[in-house]
Amino acid sequence: MTSTGAVLDLSLPQLGLALLLVGVIIAISVYQRLGIAGDVVVGTLRAMVQLYLVGLILAVVFRAARWYWVLLILVVMTAVAAQAATGRLGKPLPGGGAIAALALTVSTAITLVYVIGVVVRVRPWYEPQYIIPIAGMILGSAMTSAALAGDRLQSDLRIRADEVEARLALGFSGREAVQPVVRAALRAAMIPTVNGMMTVGLVQLPGMMTGQILAGSSPLLAIKYQLVVVFMQAAATAIAAMLFVRLAVARYLTPAHQFARSRL
Amino acid sequence: MSLVLDEVTKDYPGGVRALDGVCLAVGDGELVGVVGPSGSGKSTLLRCLNRLVEPTAGRVRFDGRDFRSLDPRELRRRAALVMQTPVLFEGSVRDNLLVRPPGASGDFSPARLASALVDVGLDPELLDRDAATLSGGEKQRVTIARALLGNPQALLLDEPTSALDPPNVALVAETVSRLRERYQLTIVAVTHQPDLVRRLGGCLLYLVRGEVVAYARADGTVSDSKLHASLSGAQASPPIRYP
Repeated sequence: MTSTGAVLDLSLPQLGLALLLVGVIIAISVYQRLGIAGDVVVGTLRAMVQLYLVGLILAVVFRAARWYWVLLILVVMTAVAAQAATGRLGKPLPGGGAIAALALTVSTAITLVYVIGVVVRVRPWYEPQYIIPIAGMILGSAMTSAALAGDRLQSDLRIRADEVEARLALGFSGREAVQPVVRAALRAAMIPTVNGMMTVGLVQLPGMMTGQILAGSSPLLAIKYQLVVVFMQAAATAIAAMLFVRLAVARYLTPAHQFARSRL
Repeated sequence: MSLVLDEVTKDYPGGVRALDGVCLAVGDGELVGVVGPSGSGKSTLLRCLNRLVEPTAGRVRFDGRDFRSLDPRELRRRAALVMQTPVLFEGSVRDNLLVRPPGASGDFSPARLASALVDVGLDPELLDRDAATLSGGEKQRVTIARALLGNPQALLLDEPTSALDPPNVALVAETVSRLRERYQLTIVAVTHQPDLVRRLGGCLLYLVRGEVVAYARADGTVSDSKLHASLSGAQASPPIRYP
C-alpha cells in the first residue's frame, strides 16, 4: 500500500486480496445449497467490469468537462435506472418503461437542479466531479423508490381488487377508488428512506461520507455533504414514487371509471 | 327504473366471449333472476348493466337512455351492485355505511343509518361493532344496507346468498323481497336458486356460454328464444311450458 498525499492507493494484489472476501458468500452458498454461487460469480465479474469501464469513461469525461458529455452520461444512467425499476415487477406493467423513465427524469431533474444550483452552487453547473456522483445517488434512490412502489401497487391491486371494485360500484371515481392502494404503495416506497434517516450515522456511515473520509476530507465537511445527500434522496424518493404510482395506476383504470383487472 | 340490454356482447382479452348478443328488458320495479352454470357470463352481464365492465358491442339503456350518455359514477349510484363476497372496509359498521364518494347526496344521519340496518333485518346496536367481527350473513346485509343508503332505483345482486348457510339465505332473500316492495326497486339477481326467484314472483333468464337459452316469466311460461327475452313478451317466441 502506497500513500498519495492523504489518500492510500490500492495495488492490484491488494484488490485481489479483497476479492477473497467474495469466497465467503460462495462457500456459504455451496455449503447450504442455496443455488446462488453462479449468480455471485457473475455478479462479481460484472461489478469488476462495469466499475472499471465506468471508471475509464468517467476519467475521460472528467478531463473533457463538457456539458454535452455530462448530459449524455445522465441520460444513459436514467435509461438504465428506468429499465431496472420495472424489470423485476411480477407482471409487466403496460408502458412501464416509459412511465419509469418519466418519473425518474422529473424527480432527478428537480432535485438535481436544486442541489447543484441552489444548495451546493457548483460553477459551472456541469462540473462532472459534482454532478455525476450526485445525480447517481439521486437516481439510485428514485429507482429503488419507483421499484418498491410499483411492486406494492401491483400486488395490492391484485389482492384488493374486490375492494377497488366495491368502491367503484358505490360511485367513486377510478382515482378515488384506488386511493387506499396508492397510499399503501407510496408508504412502502418511502418508509425505507424515512427509516434510513432515523438511523443514519448510528448503524453505518453512509457511502458518500465514508468515501469522503477515506479520501481525506474532514469528518465535519463529510457530514455536511451527507446531510445534503440524505435530504435530496428523501425528496427524490417522494417525487419518483408519487409520479410513478400515479402514472402506473392510471394504466389499470379507464376513462369510464372501470378497473382493468385483466391487465394485472 | 327500467333496464335494457340490447344485443350485448362482451369479449375479454385472450378471445374469451363472456356474453354473446344478450337481450333483456327489465321493467320498473321488476325482479329478474339470472341463472346458468359457472362461467356462463352471469356476473359479466350484471357488471355490464352498471358499466363496471364495458360491453364490446351492443347497447345498454337506463330508462330509455343509452348508458354511455350518463356519468358512470351517477349510473352506479342509481343501480347499486351487491357483490358475491361482501366487501367491508376497515372500521365499524357505521364507518362502512358512511363510505361515500365525495359530494354524494343523501341522508347519512345516525337515525338514517340505524333505520338502514333495521331495513335489512339487523339490530341498530351493531352500528359501532367492528365490521370484521360480523358473520357472513350480517356482512352481506350490511353491504345491502350500504347500497340502499345511496337511494338507488335498482339493485344488482351478484349471488348474494352463495356463501351463506340456509337460515341466512332465507333472511337475505326475505330482506330483498321486502325492500323491493317498499322502495319499488328494480332487481337483477344472479342466483343459483331459481326457486327462490319464482317464489318472489320474479322472472328467470337462463344463460349458457354467454347466450340466452331461455326466459321464464313469472307465470311459469318459458320462451326458448336465443335472441330476445323481454318482459313484455313482444319480442319473444311463443311460450312453452317449462318442464
